[in-house]
Amino acid sequence: MTAPATAAPARQARPRRTPTAPRRRRGGSRLVFLLPAALFLGLFSIYPLVQLLRMAASEVTAATLNADWAWTGLDNVRRGFETGQTGPAVSRTLVFVVVVTVLGMLVGFGAAIALRTSGRWSAWLLALMVFVWALPPVVNGSVWKFLLNDAGLINTVLLGTGLRDDPVPFLYDQHWALFAVAFVNAFAVIPFNTLVFRAALMTIDPEVFEAAQLDGASKWQQVRHIMVPSVRPTTLVLLILTLVYGFRSFDFIYVMTYGGPGTATNTLPFLGYLQAFVRYDYGLGAATSALAVVGVLVLAVVYARSIKREEADG
Amino acid sequence: MTVKAGPLAVAAKILLTLVYGVPILWILLTSVKSSDDVFDADRTFLFRPVTTAYVEALDGDLLRALLQSVTIATCATALVLVIAIPAAYGLARTRGPLPTLGLGLLIVLQMMPQTATVIPLFQVFSGWRLLDTTAAVVLADAALLAPFATLLLRPFFRAVPPQIEEASSIDGAGIFRTFWSVVLPVARNGVATVGTLTFLLAWGEFLYAVNFYLTPGQYPLSALLAQQVSAFGINWPGLMALAVLTSIPILVVFSASYRLLRDGLTVGAVK
Repeated sequence: MTAPATAAPARQARPRRTPTAPRRRRGGSRLVFLLPAALFLGLFSIYPLVQLLRMAASEVTAATLNADWAWTGLDNVRRGFETGQTGPAVSRTLVFVVVVTVLGMLVGFGAAIALRTSGRWSAWLLALMVFVWALPPVVNGSVWKFLLNDAGLINTVLLGTGLRDDPVPFLYDQHWALFAVAFVNAFAVIPFNTLVFRAALMTIDPEVFEAAQLDGASKWQQVRHIMVPSVRPTTLVLLILTLVYGFRSFDFIYVMTYGGPGTATNTLPFLGYLQAFVRYDYGLGAATSALAVVGVLVLAVVYARSIKREEADG
Repeated sequence: MTVKAGPLAVAAKILLTLVYGVPILWILLTSVKSSDDVFDADRTFLFRPVTTAYVEALDGDLLRALLQSVTIATCATALVLVIAIPAAYGLARTRGPLPTLGLGLLIVLQMMPQTATVIPLFQVFSGWRLLDTTAAVVLADAALLAPFATLLLRPFFRAVPPQIEEASSIDGAGIFRTFWSVVLPVARNGVATVGTLTFLLAWGEFLYAVNFYLTPGQYPLSALLAQQVSAFGINWPGLMALAVLTSIPILVVFSASYRLLRDGLTVGAVK
Protein backbone atom coordinates (compact mmCIF):
# COMPACT_ATOMS: atom_id res chain seq x y z
CA MET A 1 0.00 0.00 0.00
CA THR A 2 1.23 3.56 0.63
CA ALA A 3 4.65 4.15 2.13
CA PRO A 4 4.78 5.20 5.78
CA ALA A 5 5.08 8.90 6.38
CA THR A 6 8.69 10.02 6.52
CA ALA A 7 8.30 13.44 8.07
CA ALA A 8 7.04 13.25 11.64
CA PRO A 9 4.68 16.09 12.52
CA ALA A 10 6.30 18.83 14.59
CA ARG A 11 4.71 18.01 17.89
CA GLN A 12 6.15 20.59 20.22
CA ALA A 13 5.21 23.47 17.91
CA ARG A 14 1.50 22.74 18.26
CA PRO A 15 -0.28 25.21 20.51
CA ARG A 16 -1.94 23.75 23.57
CA ARG A 17 -5.69 23.71 23.43
CA THR A 18 -8.16 24.01 26.24
CA PRO A 19 -10.01 20.72 26.83
CA THR A 20 -13.29 21.93 25.32
CA ALA A 21 -11.98 23.76 22.27
CA PRO A 22 -10.96 20.81 20.04
CA ARG A 23 -14.30 19.09 20.42
CA ARG A 24 -16.16 22.04 18.96
CA ARG A 25 -13.63 22.66 16.23
CA ARG A 26 -13.35 19.03 15.19
CA GLY A 27 -16.37 18.82 12.89
CA GLY A 28 -15.28 21.76 10.80
CA SER A 29 -11.60 20.96 10.52
CA ARG A 30 -12.20 17.37 9.45
CA LEU A 31 -13.80 18.62 6.25
CA VAL A 32 -10.20 18.95 5.03
CA PHE A 33 -10.21 15.19 4.51
CA LEU A 34 -12.88 15.58 1.83
CA LEU A 35 -10.72 17.91 -0.25
CA PRO A 36 -8.78 15.39 -2.42
CA ALA A 37 -11.97 13.55 -3.35
CA ALA A 38 -13.80 16.79 -4.06
CA LEU A 39 -11.05 18.05 -6.37
CA PHE A 40 -10.55 14.75 -8.17
CA LEU A 41 -14.22 13.90 -8.66
CA GLY A 42 -15.00 17.49 -9.59
CA LEU A 43 -12.52 17.25 -12.44
CA PHE A 44 -13.08 13.67 -13.60
CA SER A 45 -16.73 13.00 -12.73
CA ILE A 46 -18.75 16.19 -12.31
CA TYR A 47 -17.14 18.14 -15.15
CA PRO A 48 -17.62 15.23 -17.61
CA LEU A 49 -21.28 15.02 -16.54
CA VAL A 50 -21.71 18.70 -17.35
CA GLN A 51 -20.08 18.03 -20.71
CA LEU A 52 -22.48 15.13 -21.25
CA LEU A 53 -25.45 17.43 -20.76
CA ARG A 54 -23.95 20.05 -23.08
CA MET A 55 -23.31 17.41 -25.74
CA ALA A 56 -26.84 16.09 -25.32
CA ALA A 57 -28.18 19.52 -26.26
CA SER A 58 -25.80 20.09 -29.18
CA GLU A 59 -24.92 18.66 -32.54
CA VAL A 60 -21.67 16.77 -31.96
CA THR A 61 -20.13 14.48 -34.56
CA ALA A 62 -16.66 12.97 -34.92
CA ALA A 63 -15.62 16.00 -36.97
CA THR A 64 -16.82 18.58 -34.45
CA LEU A 65 -15.90 16.70 -31.26
CA ASN A 66 -13.31 19.27 -30.22
CA ALA A 67 -14.73 22.25 -32.09
CA ASP A 68 -17.60 24.57 -31.19
CA TRP A 69 -20.90 22.72 -30.98
CA ALA A 70 -24.10 24.04 -32.50
CA TRP A 71 -26.74 24.29 -29.73
CA THR A 72 -29.83 22.30 -30.71
CA GLY A 73 -31.71 22.11 -27.41
CA LEU A 74 -33.93 19.05 -27.18
CA ASP A 75 -33.49 18.08 -30.85
CA ASN A 76 -31.35 15.04 -30.03
CA VAL A 77 -33.85 13.69 -27.53
CA ARG A 78 -36.71 14.25 -30.00
CA ARG A 79 -34.74 12.60 -32.79
CA GLY A 80 -34.10 9.57 -30.58
CA PHE A 81 -37.81 9.10 -29.96
CA GLU A 82 -38.99 9.94 -33.49
CA THR A 83 -36.62 7.50 -35.15
CA GLY A 84 -38.06 4.79 -32.92
CA GLN A 85 -34.82 4.10 -31.09
CA THR A 86 -35.37 5.45 -27.59
CA GLY A 87 -38.89 4.19 -26.88
CA PRO A 88 -38.23 0.48 -27.54
CA ALA A 89 -34.88 0.78 -25.72
CA VAL A 90 -36.72 2.00 -22.62
CA SER A 91 -39.10 -0.97 -22.63
CA ARG A 92 -36.24 -3.40 -23.28
CA THR A 93 -34.39 -1.88 -20.33
CA LEU A 94 -37.44 -2.37 -18.12
CA VAL A 95 -37.81 -6.04 -19.12
CA PHE A 96 -34.09 -6.56 -18.59
CA VAL A 97 -34.08 -4.90 -15.16
CA VAL A 98 -37.15 -6.84 -14.01
CA VAL A 99 -35.66 -10.21 -15.03
CA VAL A 100 -32.30 -9.44 -13.40
CA THR A 101 -33.89 -8.10 -10.22
CA VAL A 102 -36.50 -10.84 -9.72
CA LEU A 103 -34.00 -13.64 -10.38
CA GLY A 104 -31.24 -11.92 -8.44
CA MET A 105 -33.36 -11.31 -5.34
CA LEU A 106 -35.32 -14.57 -5.21
CA VAL A 107 -32.48 -16.93 -6.08
CA GLY A 108 -30.12 -14.91 -3.90
CA PHE A 109 -32.43 -15.27 -0.90
CA GLY A 110 -33.10 -18.95 -1.59
CA ALA A 111 -29.40 -19.66 -1.95
CA ALA A 112 -28.72 -17.82 1.30
CA ILE A 113 -31.19 -20.06 3.11
CA ALA A 114 -29.62 -23.18 1.57
CA LEU A 115 -26.10 -21.99 2.38
CA ARG A 116 -26.95 -21.08 5.96
CA THR A 117 -26.36 -24.71 6.79
CA SER A 118 -23.04 -25.51 8.33
CA GLY A 119 -20.66 -27.94 6.71
CA ARG A 120 -17.87 -28.11 4.22
CA TRP A 121 -20.06 -28.22 1.12
CA SER A 122 -21.86 -24.96 2.01
CA ALA A 123 -18.62 -23.18 2.81
CA TRP A 124 -17.00 -24.44 -0.36
CA LEU A 125 -19.98 -23.56 -2.55
CA LEU A 126 -20.17 -20.05 -1.13
CA ALA A 127 -16.49 -19.56 -1.89
CA LEU A 128 -17.01 -20.84 -5.45
CA MET A 129 -19.91 -18.45 -6.00
CA VAL A 130 -18.03 -15.45 -4.66
CA PHE A 131 -15.07 -16.40 -6.85
CA VAL A 132 -17.30 -16.47 -9.95
CA TRP A 133 -18.70 -13.10 -8.87
CA ALA A 134 -15.15 -11.73 -8.58
CA LEU A 135 -14.21 -12.86 -12.09
CA PRO A 136 -14.13 -10.16 -14.77
CA PRO A 137 -17.51 -9.89 -16.57
CA VAL A 138 -15.71 -10.53 -19.86
CA VAL A 139 -14.70 -13.96 -18.59
CA ASN A 140 -18.19 -14.90 -17.39
CA GLY A 141 -19.72 -13.44 -20.55
CA SER A 142 -17.34 -15.39 -22.78
CA VAL A 143 -18.05 -18.74 -21.18
CA TRP A 144 -21.81 -18.21 -21.25
CA LYS A 145 -21.66 -17.19 -24.89
CA PHE A 146 -19.93 -20.53 -25.40
CA LEU A 147 -22.40 -22.53 -23.29
CA LEU A 148 -25.42 -20.93 -25.04
CA ASN A 149 -24.01 -21.61 -28.50
CA ASP A 150 -26.00 -23.77 -30.96
CA ALA A 151 -23.69 -26.69 -30.28
CA GLY A 152 -22.92 -25.57 -26.74
CA LEU A 153 -23.60 -27.46 -23.53
CA ILE A 154 -27.11 -26.12 -22.83
CA ASN A 155 -28.38 -27.03 -26.29
CA THR A 156 -26.61 -30.40 -26.22
CA VAL A 157 -28.43 -31.22 -22.98
CA LEU A 158 -31.78 -29.94 -24.31
CA LEU A 159 -31.45 -32.00 -27.50
CA GLY A 160 -30.16 -35.03 -25.61
CA THR A 161 -33.13 -35.09 -23.23
CA GLY A 162 -35.51 -34.77 -26.16
CA LEU A 163 -37.09 -31.56 -24.83
CA ARG A 164 -36.26 -29.84 -28.12
CA ASP A 165 -35.78 -31.09 -31.65
CA ASP A 166 -33.67 -28.17 -32.79
CA PRO A 167 -31.20 -26.00 -30.85
CA VAL A 168 -32.56 -22.91 -29.11
CA PRO A 169 -31.09 -19.80 -30.78
CA PHE A 170 -30.42 -18.18 -27.39
CA LEU A 171 -28.22 -15.32 -28.54
CA TYR A 172 -29.40 -14.59 -32.06
CA ASP A 173 -33.16 -14.73 -31.78
CA GLN A 174 -35.14 -11.50 -31.34
CA HIS A 175 -37.01 -12.79 -28.31
CA TRP A 176 -34.51 -15.08 -26.64
CA ALA A 177 -31.46 -12.81 -26.68
CA LEU A 178 -32.66 -10.23 -24.16
CA PHE A 179 -33.71 -12.94 -21.69
CA ALA A 180 -30.51 -14.92 -22.19
CA VAL A 181 -28.31 -11.92 -21.43
CA ALA A 182 -30.51 -10.90 -18.49
CA PHE A 183 -30.19 -14.43 -17.11
CA VAL A 184 -26.39 -14.25 -17.26
CA ASN A 185 -26.52 -10.85 -15.56
CA ALA A 186 -28.59 -12.37 -12.78
CA PHE A 187 -26.11 -15.27 -12.59
CA ALA A 188 -23.36 -12.73 -12.00
CA VAL A 189 -25.18 -10.79 -9.25
CA ILE A 190 -26.68 -13.73 -7.32
CA PRO A 191 -23.46 -14.56 -5.37
CA PHE A 192 -23.27 -11.04 -3.96
CA ASN A 193 -26.94 -11.07 -2.96
CA THR A 194 -26.51 -14.51 -1.41
CA LEU A 195 -23.56 -13.29 0.63
CA VAL A 196 -25.46 -10.28 1.96
CA PHE A 197 -28.69 -12.19 2.66
CA ARG A 198 -26.69 -14.94 4.38
CA ALA A 199 -24.96 -12.43 6.63
CA ALA A 200 -28.36 -11.00 7.56
CA LEU A 201 -29.76 -14.48 8.31
CA MET A 202 -26.77 -15.27 10.51
CA THR A 203 -27.70 -12.41 12.83
CA ILE A 204 -30.97 -14.10 13.80
CA ASP A 205 -30.77 -15.58 17.29
CA PRO A 206 -30.71 -19.43 16.98
CA GLU A 207 -33.08 -19.63 19.94
CA VAL A 208 -35.80 -18.14 17.78
CA PHE A 209 -35.60 -21.15 15.46
CA GLU A 210 -35.48 -23.55 18.40
CA ALA A 211 -38.60 -21.99 19.85
CA ALA A 212 -40.34 -22.16 16.47
CA GLN A 213 -39.43 -25.84 16.13
CA LEU A 214 -40.77 -26.60 19.59
CA ASP A 215 -44.00 -24.91 18.59
CA GLY A 216 -44.16 -27.18 15.56
CA ALA A 217 -43.51 -24.56 12.89
CA SER A 218 -42.72 -26.04 9.48
CA LYS A 219 -39.62 -25.05 7.47
CA TRP A 220 -41.76 -22.92 5.22
CA GLN A 221 -43.35 -21.16 8.22
CA GLN A 222 -39.88 -20.45 9.58
CA VAL A 223 -38.89 -18.88 6.28
CA ARG A 224 -42.12 -16.92 6.01
CA HIS A 225 -42.42 -15.69 9.60
CA ILE A 226 -38.84 -15.51 10.87
CA MET A 227 -36.39 -15.11 7.99
CA VAL A 228 -38.33 -12.84 5.64
CA PRO A 229 -39.23 -10.23 8.28
CA SER A 230 -35.75 -10.19 9.79
CA VAL A 231 -33.98 -9.46 6.49
CA ARG A 232 -36.43 -6.74 5.45
CA PRO A 233 -34.07 -3.74 5.97
CA THR A 234 -31.32 -5.58 4.10
CA THR A 235 -33.74 -6.47 1.33
CA LEU A 236 -34.60 -2.85 0.67
CA VAL A 237 -30.98 -1.76 0.22
CA LEU A 238 -30.14 -4.86 -1.80
CA LEU A 239 -33.20 -4.39 -4.00
CA ILE A 240 -32.11 -0.94 -5.05
CA LEU A 241 -28.51 -2.08 -5.59
CA THR A 242 -29.75 -4.91 -7.81
CA LEU A 243 -32.10 -2.60 -9.73
CA VAL A 244 -29.22 -0.22 -10.40
CA TYR A 245 -26.91 -3.10 -11.32
CA GLY A 246 -29.40 -4.35 -13.90
CA PHE A 247 -30.07 -0.86 -15.18
CA ARG A 248 -26.47 0.18 -15.79
CA SER A 249 -25.29 -3.22 -17.00
CA PHE A 250 -23.58 -3.23 -20.37
CA ASP A 251 -20.61 -5.63 -20.11
CA PHE A 252 -22.56 -8.82 -20.76
CA ILE A 253 -24.46 -7.18 -23.61
CA TYR A 254 -21.17 -5.98 -25.09
CA VAL A 255 -19.56 -9.41 -24.86
CA MET A 256 -22.49 -11.68 -25.68
CA THR A 257 -24.61 -9.86 -28.28
CA TYR A 258 -23.18 -6.36 -28.82
CA GLY A 259 -26.73 -5.04 -28.81
CA GLY A 260 -27.97 -7.54 -31.41
CA PRO A 261 -29.49 -9.39 -33.08
CA GLY A 262 -30.68 -6.23 -34.83
CA THR A 263 -31.61 -4.02 -31.91
CA ALA A 264 -32.92 -6.81 -29.65
CA THR A 265 -30.53 -6.15 -26.75
CA ASN A 266 -30.17 -2.38 -27.16
CA THR A 267 -30.98 -1.27 -23.63
CA LEU A 268 -30.93 2.45 -22.93
CA PRO A 269 -27.31 2.65 -21.67
CA PHE A 270 -26.02 0.42 -24.47
CA LEU A 271 -27.97 2.28 -27.17
CA GLY A 272 -26.27 5.51 -26.08
CA TYR A 273 -22.89 3.85 -26.35
CA LEU A 274 -23.59 2.49 -29.84
CA GLN A 275 -24.89 5.84 -31.08
CA ALA A 276 -21.74 7.60 -29.87
CA PHE A 277 -18.96 5.14 -30.59
CA VAL A 278 -20.27 3.08 -33.51
CA ARG A 279 -22.29 5.70 -35.38
CA TYR A 280 -20.16 8.63 -34.19
CA ASP A 281 -23.26 10.66 -33.40
CA TYR A 282 -21.96 11.88 -30.04
CA GLY A 283 -24.82 14.32 -29.55
CA LEU A 284 -27.50 11.64 -29.97
CA GLY A 285 -25.53 9.19 -27.82
CA ALA A 286 -25.14 11.81 -25.09
CA ALA A 287 -28.87 12.56 -25.19
CA THR A 288 -29.76 8.87 -24.80
CA SER A 289 -27.22 8.54 -21.98
CA ALA A 290 -28.61 11.64 -20.28
CA LEU A 291 -32.01 9.90 -20.18
CA ALA A 292 -30.31 6.91 -18.53
CA VAL A 293 -28.74 9.28 -16.01
CA VAL A 294 -32.19 10.62 -15.13
CA GLY A 295 -33.35 7.06 -14.48
CA VAL A 296 -30.39 6.53 -12.16
CA LEU A 297 -31.11 9.78 -10.31
CA VAL A 298 -34.59 8.56 -9.40
CA LEU A 299 -33.18 5.30 -8.01
CA ALA A 300 -30.41 7.18 -6.18
CA VAL A 301 -32.95 9.32 -4.32
CA VAL A 302 -34.85 6.22 -3.16
CA TYR A 303 -31.57 4.59 -2.13
CA ALA A 304 -30.30 7.59 -0.19
CA ARG A 305 -33.58 7.81 1.71
CA SER A 306 -33.58 4.14 2.67
CA ILE A 307 -29.94 4.32 3.81
CA LYS A 308 -30.70 7.38 5.89
CA ARG A 309 -33.53 5.51 7.57
CA GLU A 310 -31.20 2.55 8.22
CA GLU A 311 -28.57 4.73 9.82
CA ALA A 312 -31.13 6.51 11.94
CA ASP A 313 -32.35 3.13 13.17
CA GLY A 314 -28.89 1.67 13.76
CA MET B 1 -25.11 -22.35 14.88
CA THR B 2 -25.51 -25.76 13.28
CA VAL B 3 -28.38 -26.12 10.87
CA LYS B 4 -29.03 -29.44 9.17
CA ALA B 5 -29.85 -29.25 5.49
CA GLY B 6 -33.25 -30.57 4.45
CA PRO B 7 -33.91 -32.24 1.10
CA LEU B 8 -34.90 -28.91 -0.49
CA ALA B 9 -31.69 -27.26 0.65
CA VAL B 10 -29.65 -30.19 -0.70
CA ALA B 11 -31.42 -29.89 -4.07
CA ALA B 12 -30.72 -26.16 -4.13
CA LYS B 13 -27.08 -26.76 -3.33
CA ILE B 14 -26.72 -29.35 -6.10
CA LEU B 15 -28.27 -26.93 -8.58
CA LEU B 16 -26.05 -24.04 -7.46
CA THR B 17 -22.95 -26.22 -7.57
CA LEU B 18 -23.78 -27.13 -11.17
CA VAL B 19 -24.68 -23.59 -12.27
CA TYR B 20 -21.50 -22.08 -10.79
CA GLY B 21 -19.17 -25.04 -11.17
CA VAL B 22 -19.89 -26.00 -14.78
CA PRO B 23 -18.84 -22.67 -16.35
CA ILE B 24 -15.50 -22.80 -14.54
CA LEU B 25 -15.02 -26.45 -15.53
CA TRP B 26 -15.92 -25.65 -19.15
CA ILE B 27 -13.44 -22.77 -19.37
CA LEU B 28 -10.70 -25.11 -18.19
CA LEU B 29 -11.73 -28.06 -20.39
CA THR B 30 -12.17 -25.99 -23.54
CA SER B 31 -8.86 -24.24 -23.11
CA VAL B 32 -7.03 -27.57 -23.45
CA LYS B 33 -9.04 -28.89 -26.40
CA SER B 34 -8.16 -28.79 -30.06
CA SER B 35 -10.55 -26.78 -32.25
CA ASP B 36 -12.00 -29.97 -33.75
CA ASP B 37 -13.00 -31.36 -30.37
CA VAL B 38 -14.73 -28.23 -29.04
CA PHE B 39 -18.28 -28.94 -30.25
CA ASP B 40 -18.00 -32.72 -30.49
CA ALA B 41 -20.46 -34.13 -27.95
CA ASP B 42 -18.61 -37.45 -27.84
CA ARG B 43 -15.46 -35.70 -26.73
CA THR B 44 -16.93 -33.60 -23.95
CA PHE B 45 -14.81 -35.20 -21.24
CA LEU B 46 -12.76 -37.78 -23.14
CA PHE B 47 -10.38 -35.99 -25.47
CA ARG B 48 -6.70 -35.60 -25.99
CA PRO B 49 -5.69 -32.52 -24.03
CA VAL B 50 -3.51 -30.18 -26.04
CA THR B 51 -1.72 -27.03 -24.99
CA THR B 52 -2.01 -25.49 -28.46
CA ALA B 53 -4.26 -22.66 -27.28
CA TYR B 54 -1.87 -21.66 -24.49
CA VAL B 55 1.21 -21.94 -26.69
CA GLU B 56 -0.47 -19.76 -29.32
CA ALA B 57 -1.77 -17.27 -26.75
CA LEU B 58 1.51 -16.87 -24.88
CA ASP B 59 3.44 -14.42 -26.98
CA GLY B 60 4.84 -10.94 -26.68
CA ASP B 61 1.40 -9.37 -27.17
CA LEU B 62 -0.03 -11.30 -24.22
CA LEU B 63 2.82 -10.34 -21.93
CA ARG B 64 2.39 -6.73 -22.95
CA ALA B 65 -1.34 -6.97 -22.18
CA LEU B 66 -0.59 -8.58 -18.83
CA LEU B 67 1.81 -5.78 -17.98
CA GLN B 68 -0.85 -3.24 -19.00
CA SER B 69 -3.43 -4.94 -16.77
CA VAL B 70 -1.05 -4.92 -13.81
CA THR B 71 -0.11 -1.28 -14.37
CA ILE B 72 -3.68 -0.08 -14.78
CA ALA B 73 -5.14 -2.06 -11.87
CA THR B 74 -2.30 -1.17 -9.48
CA CYS B 75 -2.22 2.54 -10.32
CA ALA B 76 -6.01 2.83 -10.24
CA THR B 77 -6.19 1.06 -6.86
CA ALA B 78 -3.47 3.27 -5.35
CA LEU B 79 -5.15 6.41 -6.66
CA VAL B 80 -8.58 5.32 -5.41
CA LEU B 81 -7.24 4.55 -1.93
CA VAL B 82 -5.44 7.89 -1.68
CA ILE B 83 -8.70 9.65 -2.48
CA ALA B 84 -11.23 7.39 -0.79
CA ILE B 85 -9.54 6.76 2.58
CA PRO B 86 -9.49 10.38 3.73
CA ALA B 87 -12.89 11.07 2.17
CA ALA B 88 -14.49 8.08 3.92
CA TYR B 89 -12.99 9.15 7.25
CA GLY B 90 -14.09 12.73 6.73
CA LEU B 91 -17.64 11.65 5.90
CA ALA B 92 -17.76 9.30 8.89
CA ARG B 93 -16.78 12.05 11.33
CA THR B 94 -18.49 15.20 10.07
CA ARG B 95 -22.08 16.33 10.04
CA GLY B 96 -23.87 19.16 8.34
CA PRO B 97 -25.11 20.15 4.91
CA LEU B 98 -21.75 19.79 3.15
CA PRO B 99 -21.06 16.15 4.11
CA THR B 100 -24.70 15.27 3.39
CA LEU B 101 -24.39 16.78 -0.07
CA GLY B 102 -21.12 14.90 -0.55
CA LEU B 103 -22.73 11.61 0.43
CA GLY B 104 -25.62 12.17 -1.95
CA LEU B 105 -23.26 13.00 -4.79
CA LEU B 106 -21.21 9.87 -4.15
CA ILE B 107 -24.34 7.71 -4.24
CA VAL B 108 -25.35 9.24 -7.56
CA LEU B 109 -21.85 8.90 -9.03
CA GLN B 110 -21.57 5.31 -7.86
CA MET B 111 -24.72 4.50 -9.81
CA MET B 112 -23.80 6.29 -13.05
CA PRO B 113 -23.92 3.99 -16.07
CA GLN B 114 -20.37 3.62 -17.35
CA THR B 115 -21.65 3.95 -20.91
CA ALA B 116 -22.81 7.46 -19.98
CA THR B 117 -19.44 8.56 -18.57
CA VAL B 118 -17.34 7.11 -21.38
CA ILE B 119 -18.84 9.56 -23.91
CA PRO B 120 -17.91 12.86 -22.21
CA LEU B 121 -14.62 11.44 -20.87
CA PHE B 122 -13.64 10.55 -24.43
CA GLN B 123 -14.30 14.15 -25.45
CA VAL B 124 -12.54 15.61 -22.39
CA PHE B 125 -9.45 13.38 -22.75
CA SER B 126 -9.28 14.08 -26.45
CA GLY B 127 -9.26 17.81 -25.68
CA TRP B 128 -6.48 17.30 -23.12
CA ARG B 129 -4.51 15.12 -25.58
CA LEU B 130 -4.69 12.19 -23.12
CA LEU B 131 -6.27 9.71 -25.52
CA ASP B 132 -4.19 6.61 -26.24
CA THR B 133 -2.37 6.95 -22.89
CA THR B 134 -2.50 4.68 -19.87
CA ALA B 135 -3.05 7.77 -17.72
CA ALA B 136 -6.48 8.27 -19.31
CA VAL B 137 -7.60 4.74 -18.42
CA VAL B 138 -6.20 4.98 -14.88
CA LEU B 139 -7.85 8.35 -14.22
CA ALA B 140 -11.18 7.18 -15.63
CA ASP B 141 -11.05 3.93 -13.62
CA ALA B 142 -10.25 5.88 -10.45
CA ALA B 143 -13.16 8.26 -11.06
CA LEU B 144 -15.42 5.25 -11.65
CA LEU B 145 -14.38 3.37 -8.50
CA ALA B 146 -13.59 6.11 -5.96
CA PRO B 147 -17.26 6.83 -5.06
CA PHE B 148 -17.97 3.14 -4.49
CA ALA B 149 -14.77 2.72 -2.45
CA THR B 150 -15.58 5.73 -0.27
CA LEU B 151 -19.10 4.56 0.47
CA LEU B 152 -17.91 1.05 1.31
CA LEU B 153 -15.14 2.36 3.59
CA ARG B 154 -17.25 4.82 5.55
CA PRO B 155 -18.91 2.24 7.87
CA PHE B 156 -15.46 0.89 8.80
CA PHE B 157 -14.42 4.34 10.00
CA ARG B 158 -17.72 4.86 11.77
CA ALA B 159 -17.01 1.67 13.70
CA VAL B 160 -13.78 3.16 15.12
CA PRO B 161 -14.66 4.38 18.65
CA PRO B 162 -14.37 8.18 18.84
CA GLN B 163 -12.97 7.80 22.37
CA ILE B 164 -9.61 6.58 21.13
CA GLU B 165 -9.37 9.66 18.93
CA GLU B 166 -10.15 11.89 21.89
CA ALA B 167 -7.49 10.10 23.92
CA SER B 168 -5.04 10.66 21.10
CA SER B 169 -5.84 14.36 20.80
CA ILE B 170 -5.54 14.84 24.56
CA ASP B 171 -2.06 13.36 24.21
CA GLY B 172 -1.37 16.22 21.84
CA ALA B 173 -1.67 14.61 18.42
CA GLY B 174 -3.20 16.71 15.64
CA ILE B 175 -6.03 15.47 13.43
CA PHE B 176 -3.71 14.19 10.70
CA ARG B 177 -1.46 12.34 13.10
CA THR B 178 -4.46 10.90 14.95
CA PHE B 179 -5.92 9.76 11.67
CA TRP B 180 -2.67 8.22 10.42
CA SER B 181 -1.42 6.47 13.53
CA VAL B 182 -4.60 5.77 15.50
CA VAL B 183 -7.65 5.55 13.23
CA LEU B 184 -6.13 4.02 10.09
CA PRO B 185 -4.59 0.99 11.84
CA VAL B 186 -7.92 0.20 13.49
CA ALA B 187 -9.72 0.36 10.14
CA ARG B 188 -7.09 -1.62 8.23
CA ASN B 189 -9.49 -4.50 7.48
CA GLY B 190 -11.78 -2.11 5.70
CA VAL B 191 -8.91 -0.63 3.73
CA ALA B 192 -7.77 -4.12 2.70
CA THR B 193 -11.30 -5.13 1.67
CA VAL B 194 -11.86 -2.00 -0.38
CA GLY B 195 -8.38 -2.14 -1.90
CA THR B 196 -8.91 -5.75 -2.99
CA LEU B 197 -12.31 -5.03 -4.50
CA THR B 198 -11.02 -1.98 -6.33
CA PHE B 199 -8.18 -4.03 -7.76
CA LEU B 200 -10.57 -6.78 -8.93
CA LEU B 201 -12.92 -4.27 -10.55
CA ALA B 202 -10.11 -2.34 -12.24
CA TRP B 203 -8.66 -5.63 -13.52
CA GLY B 204 -11.96 -6.51 -15.21
CA GLU B 205 -12.78 -3.04 -16.56
CA PHE B 206 -12.65 -2.96 -20.37
CA LEU B 207 -14.96 -0.25 -21.74
CA TYR B 208 -12.59 2.64 -20.99
CA ALA B 209 -9.61 0.64 -22.24
CA VAL B 210 -11.32 -0.31 -25.51
CA ASN B 211 -12.30 3.29 -26.23
CA PHE B 212 -9.42 5.36 -24.87
CA TYR B 213 -6.64 3.27 -26.41
CA LEU B 214 -6.75 3.87 -30.13
CA THR B 215 -4.86 0.69 -31.05
CA PRO B 216 -5.36 -2.85 -29.66
CA GLY B 217 -1.58 -3.09 -29.18
CA GLN B 218 -1.97 -1.30 -25.84
CA TYR B 219 -5.04 -3.18 -24.56
CA PRO B 220 -4.97 -4.82 -21.13
CA LEU B 221 -6.11 -8.46 -20.90
CA SER B 222 -9.77 -7.66 -20.24
CA ALA B 223 -10.02 -5.46 -23.33
CA LEU B 224 -8.22 -8.04 -25.44
CA LEU B 225 -10.73 -10.64 -24.31
CA ALA B 226 -13.68 -8.33 -24.99
CA GLN B 227 -12.36 -7.63 -28.46
CA GLN B 228 -11.88 -11.29 -29.32
CA VAL B 229 -15.20 -12.52 -27.97
CA SER B 230 -17.24 -10.01 -29.97
CA ALA B 231 -15.41 -10.90 -33.20
CA PHE B 232 -16.87 -13.25 -35.81
CA GLY B 233 -15.57 -16.79 -36.08
CA ILE B 234 -14.36 -17.12 -32.53
CA ASN B 235 -11.42 -19.41 -31.82
CA TRP B 236 -12.94 -20.94 -28.67
CA PRO B 237 -9.91 -22.77 -27.24
CA GLY B 238 -7.80 -19.64 -27.74
CA LEU B 239 -10.46 -17.47 -26.13
CA MET B 240 -10.83 -19.79 -23.14
CA ALA B 241 -7.06 -19.97 -22.70
CA LEU B 242 -7.04 -16.16 -22.64
CA ALA B 243 -9.90 -16.24 -20.12
CA VAL B 244 -7.93 -18.60 -17.88
CA LEU B 245 -4.83 -16.43 -18.09
CA THR B 246 -6.93 -13.34 -17.28
CA SER B 247 -8.46 -15.11 -14.29
CA ILE B 248 -5.31 -16.53 -12.69
CA PRO B 249 -4.35 -13.24 -10.99
CA ILE B 250 -7.96 -12.98 -9.77
CA LEU B 251 -7.64 -16.46 -8.26
CA VAL B 252 -4.45 -15.42 -6.46
CA VAL B 253 -5.98 -12.23 -5.06
CA PHE B 254 -9.20 -14.06 -4.21
CA SER B 255 -7.47 -16.91 -2.34
CA ALA B 256 -5.54 -14.41 -0.27
CA SER B 257 -8.54 -12.27 0.61
CA TYR B 258 -11.66 -14.47 0.55
CA ARG B 259 -12.36 -14.26 4.28
CA LEU B 260 -11.87 -10.53 4.20
CA LEU B 261 -14.26 -10.14 1.25
CA ARG B 262 -16.86 -12.49 2.70
CA ASP B 263 -17.03 -10.56 5.97
CA GLY B 264 -16.14 -7.08 4.70
CA LEU B 265 -18.61 -6.88 1.81
CA THR B 266 -21.59 -7.14 4.08
CA VAL B 267 -20.54 -4.46 6.58
CA GLY B 268 -22.35 -1.68 4.77
CA ALA B 269 -25.46 -3.63 3.90
CA VAL B 270 -26.29 -5.44 7.14
CA LYS B 271 -26.89 -3.88 10.49
